[in-house]
Amino acid sequence: MSGSSFELKPLLARISTPAILASIVIVIAAIATLRNDIVFERVVTVMFIHLLLVVALQAFMGNSGLGSFGQYAFVLIGAYSSIWFSLSPDQKNLALPDMPQTWWLYEQHTSFLVAAVMGGLTALLVGGLLGIALVRLRGASFTIATFAFLIVIHSVALQWRQVTRGSRTVLGIPQYTTLWDAALWAIVAIVIVYAFKESTIGLKLRASREDEDAASSVGVNVKLMRWMAWSLSVFLSGFGGALWAHFIQQFSPQSFYLKETFLIIAMLVIGGSGSVSGATIGAIAVALSSEGMRQIENWWNLNRQTGTRVGEFLPFQLIGFTEIVIAISMILVLILRPTGIMAGRELRGPRRKSGGSGPKPELAVDGSNPVPEPNL
Amino acid sequence: MSLLEVADLHVRYGAIVAVRGVSLRVEEGEAVGLIGVNGAGKSTTMSAIMGVVKPERGSVVFAGESLVGVPPEAVIRKGLAPVMEGRRIFPTLTVEENLKIGAATVKDKEQIAADIEKWSTFFPVLKERLGKPAGTLSGGQQQMLAVARAMMSRPTMVLMDEPSLGLSPKLVGEIFDLIRQLRELGMSILLVEQNVRMTLDVVDRVYLLSTGKVDFEGTPAELRARGDVERAYLHGTSSATKPAVQ
Amino acid sequence: MISDVAQYLVTSLSLGGLYALMALGLIIVYGILKLINFAYGELVMVAGYGLLIFGRSPWPWIIVAILSVICAVIAALLMERIAFRPVRHASPTTMLITSFAVSALLQNLALLTISPRPQVPRLPSIFIRNLTFRGIRIDVLDLSGLIVSILALIALTVFLRRTVIGLSLRAAADDFTMTRLMGVRANMVIAAAFAISGFMAGIVALFWIGNARSTTPTIGLEPVLIAFIASVVGGMSSLKGAVVGGYVLGFLTIGLQTWLPQEVNAYRNAVLFGIVIVVLLLRPDGIIRPAYSREAR
Repeated sequence: MSGSSFELKPLLARISTPAILASIVIVIAAIATLRNDIVFERVVTVMFIHLLLVVALQAFMGNSGLGSFGQYAFVLIGAYSSIWFSLSPDQKNLALPDMPQTWWLYEQHTSFLVAAVMGGLTALLVGGLLGIALVRLRGASFTIATFAFLIVIHSVALQWRQVTRGSRTVLGIPQYTTLWDAALWAIVAIVIVYAFKESTIGLKLRASREDEDAASSVGVNVKLMRWMAWSLSVFLSGFGGALWAHFIQQFSPQSFYLKETFLIIAMLVIGGSGSVSGATIGAIAVALSSEGMRQIENWWNLNRQTGTRVGEFLPFQLIGFTEIVIAISMILVLILRPTGIMAGRELRGPRRKSGGSGPKPELAVDGSNPVPEPNL
Repeated sequence: MSLLEVADLHVRYGAIVAVRGVSLRVEEGEAVGLIGVNGAGKSTTMSAIMGVVKPERGSVVFAGESLVGVPPEAVIRKGLAPVMEGRRIFPTLTVEENLKIGAATVKDKEQIAADIEKWSTFFPVLKERLGKPAGTLSGGQQQMLAVARAMMSRPTMVLMDEPSLGLSPKLVGEIFDLIRQLRELGMSILLVEQNVRMTLDVVDRVYLLSTGKVDFEGTPAELRARGDVERAYLHGTSSATKPAVQ
Repeated sequence: MISDVAQYLVTSLSLGGLYALMALGLIIVYGILKLINFAYGELVMVAGYGLLIFGRSPWPWIIVAILSVICAVIAALLMERIAFRPVRHASPTTMLITSFAVSALLQNLALLTISPRPQVPRLPSIFIRNLTFRGIRIDVLDLSGLIVSILALIALTVFLRRTVIGLSLRAAADDFTMTRLMGVRANMVIAAAFAISGFMAGIVALFWIGNARSTTPTIGLEPVLIAFIASVVGGMSSLKGAVVGGYVLGFLTIGLQTWLPQEVNAYRNAVLFGIVIVVLLLRPDGIIRPAYSREAR
């Protein structure tokens, strides 16, 4: 880190990454607004919510080095618990008809923001308690336990009709999350998670990944820090679930299961789990290219169905094509570049070099981390 | 030409250079000792010869063929059998199965049966326990099994890493007797040991490693003649340091 | 009453046997590679589509079944060669995520190339019959599942005990590096483990799909989940544990179905996976410790 502006450097270095990532989000949101295309706006809004979730997952996986397959359990909890608060009793009669009218919960009716925070807090309550137990586990055991928890929550949600309407879709949820709300909260998540990563806790936690015993021996409470990263991730996931629920307006427990888990993990792996920039870039890259592929799918299937001249040459219906491409990309990344696109680095702003090596490109990929962080 | 020739071997584990320029040779029918304190690079040298770790630089030539880049499973086919540190027998396999897997490279079923008979006769404790899981054997018995298992491939040379580690003094004596017997059978031996006194009694030549380099090379008599080595290694007051960190 | 008990026993032993095979298929790979193969369920799916495709031929069903099992074995070998060999040295978490991706890939390939809708393969008509023996009624499907799973267990035991590859597999589960130093080729051992895994999945598929009577791209999900539970409960490190875990789960499942009210059974998955978490927490090595003297021999 060479530079003449010694005083300014730490501050600039600290805010340049979240600033760049935030500008990317804002630019995309602006483009979506200007294009004035409802479908594209929907795609981008969902992308921002996914971006928030990927960043939330990165907060845990990137710092602790452990893998979690259980994130969507908390998205589910956040989505359902937020509608307990955001819906009026009348709306609940429709969306959650099985909730007893005698319940305290039935009477609640808060603003959307309070409801979303309640979604995050409910996820935190459940996840925080679970986390106390889970932080003892290592490696694949941890991942399997989180996966088991996803299934537990999924099957509880399918059965506990009073609070979820069981396997049936909850309908009639008002749409509160706008494109710019989603953008704003994605940026907030980026800032929080980046700050956590750069905090003493984040640094120590990442240092402990290599050798937990060594870290413990120098007085680093690995389990406590792991729990903190987990709790942050869980809260943001629940909050993200609330945002999603109030955008998509109808969902069922099936909306928070393996397909969704796969997508978020694919985004993080492809972008690179070692950095917040990796999570952000991965979410955007996967979301935009999936959208492109989905359009190809639609074009293909439409031509086939309507029997146009092109359609006659298309032998089969194109279903699952997008997922196949994502899965293959993910496998290729894991094999060829296990640290993902960003390889553990963060996007940083242009820097003045004391040697006068000329101006750097606007989005210089900072190489300040000589040894790429190990993946996951 | 020597049977085994190691020249300018360098091995690195991340930032730690464990072996820095070790050269040694073992002639046919010769027993050679590789001694030094913990962390001097003895086991790393051995692992590099067996193909378990990749050397950064240097050559390993056995019977005229380079072993660098040869995977572990191919080394034994060239006639080099390992007795690794910690015995590394297969605990859930029976004693007999351990011997059988030692002959994984042998096609001839009769030869395998004959060798099992031969080595279990050589080690009567093993014969009594052929059908028992190897994990139930005592430390000394496991060491004998490890040696017998190595012999099953009919090697021309055996590499032994710390065979006396963790054994009672009586068993240590038995192990060194065994090494002597192997020598008499004409086996070439590279013996990595911390028990310097016993090693000097059974080997023809000895290499002294310290901080990843060869510090001394010669006969046991020559080593004993060097007073400083005598003090440092034979009386246990170690002056050697940990492996250097670059 | 006796009839009920006999039926319960046969059904449980049949289901437990199939669960045991599922767990074995997962554990045989895990024991060597430390890879928890999420895509294991998709091997069941491959065999299921094998039944569908070969079932259109005029060949007798037994040939169709054998070809389907072979398909699962080949798929397992390809999976290892293409996706898992390159990440063999990565962390268990990376391997787990890779297998998750492989699973998604295969499911969507089935979606694309076959159909998202359930397909009904040709099944032997005897599968829907039942036998009555001294007033005890037993489904042929259950009885054949029981017999075939026990035969497969015996075959695996003989293979592991009597063959050189079997010996190498067991040695590799004890100490992989040392096994290689004995001259056993790593690729061969791992390929053998995957082949066994595919074989088990193939056998399971015959009865799983025989019971479901149709096959879908996601048919493999439940088998792999069951294999997870049975293996974790059985210890994750021992083949014997996997078998015990499979049978325990089989008896438990049928027992709960028979004797507990429907509302409670609805939470079955929640309870079972809750147990998985508790077992992992209490003893990361599982319930049955890999005691040397009691190991799969």
